[in-house]
Amino acid sequence: MDVTTHTGTRLQDRVAIVTGAGQGVGEGIARRLAEEGATVILAARRAETGEPVAEAIRAAGGIAECIVTDVAKGDSVQQCVDETVRRHGRLDIMVHNAFSGAVPHLLHEATMEKNWKLMSKTGVWACFFCARAAYPHLQQSSRRGTGLGGGRLILITSPSGVEGSANIALYSPAKAAERAIAKSLAREWGPEGITVNCIAPVAGSPALAIAFERNPALKDAIEARTPLGRVGDITKDIGSVALFLASDDSSYVTGQTIVCDGGSFLGL
Amino acid sequence: MPSHATTINSQLGDVPSHARVIVVDIRDTPSLAVDLTDDKIQELWEQPIQKVITELQDAHSSGCTRIVVVTPLIGMSGAAGYSAQAAVAEAARIVVKSAARQWGKNGIVVNAVALESAAYGIDESIAGPVSIAPRAMTNEVSAKGIVQWLCSEAAGDVTGQTFIVDGGSWM
Repeated sequence: MDVTTHTGTRLQDRVAIVTGAGQGVGEGIARRLAEEGATVILAARRAETGEPVAEAIRAAGGIAECIVTDVAKGDSVQQCVDETVRRHGRLDIMVHNAFSGAVPHLLHEATMEKNWKLMSKTGVWACFFCARAAYPHLQQSSRRGTGLGGGRLILITSPSGVEGSANIALYSPAKAAERAIAKSLAREWGPEGITVNCIAPVAGSPALAIAFERNPALKDAIEARTPLGRVGDITKDIGSVALFLASDDSSYVTGQTIVCDGGSFLGL
Repeated sequence: MPSHATTINSQLGDVPSHARVIVVDIRDTPSLAVDLTDDKIQELWEQPIQKVITELQDAHSSGCTRIVVVTPLIGMSGAAGYSAQAAVAEAARIVVKSAARQWGKNGIVVNAVALESAAYGIDESIAGPVSIAPRAMTNEVSAKGIVQWLCSEAAGDVTGQTFIVDGGSWM
């Protein structure tokens, strides 16, 4: 496992929760936030994935802990938030990244049980769970004033949530819903100083690595259609966008989706 | 009292047998995100979006070649107090694109019409205006014309698109 180096102070004294941080994009975001001084709670479904990432962050001088969390259950998300605040006294940044159930299917053959419910639960329901559990603490963070906090909700969506998907038909509406939630909460929470934004990444996640293994031509195809000619790095590319949205630098940005995919989708 | 979706549907006119119009059915009751209990999420998000998916599948299995989904504009604009309904609206708009991509090779075209949220009973004083600019037109709007065209043979080369009918609020 790569060692993250604790280098900055842009999120010093801030506390962040990142769901699905045991691997992939969530791991990259957790590492990047920790590099800039945030105390990071890795809300992972399995300790076997969350703990090693937390250990690696600590080994590099960062502050990180794993709290086993099932984002498909509202009680579990609430417990994670409560425990975070009990241990660290505050919560400033909530990142919902976890997502399960995206397997290829045709829309006309899809069933709710097999192809929809898990994506809806881990994607959309979990957005609401994260929002309602984190809200009072994000509100408190914003009341601390510029430079001292600022509530941030960051949702990880997908380019497919904008342009539809030919392979995973129902993945797209689940991810689209997250963008609409972000815009709605940006309006709802704006007067409180809380910002809500989305990132739509294409990055070297474990899921993408498996897809490349199954279909070696896919990597070439993605790189060929991407102006920057490569797949994004979970920490340097995606984590850095999350860092921007989590930091004071983005205090006047809300309700937006940043498509972070090397320029392969240019439709906004 | 009929739902807003029923009223909107009744205003769209008859469509050819090869066409299907699906009007997204959302509740007009606002609810802050912190007040969204599991029961409310089920009612405001899960049930309406599953209905849209099921109706799309039914249109496909019925052999329809022109499918139009009418959905409220709040999916694109977001709406304070209506986050669950906005999620349904945008999910419906984007599943149209997946359907268009998957079914296009079979000659099935699928499009969306985003209708101004007032038609769905959304209270703009709570939701917030869709744009900082004023609405360009002052007349009442109807989705009938664009829906009829999208259901016609003339629209056979148009798929995966969203047509906004709101009198020029969202541009």
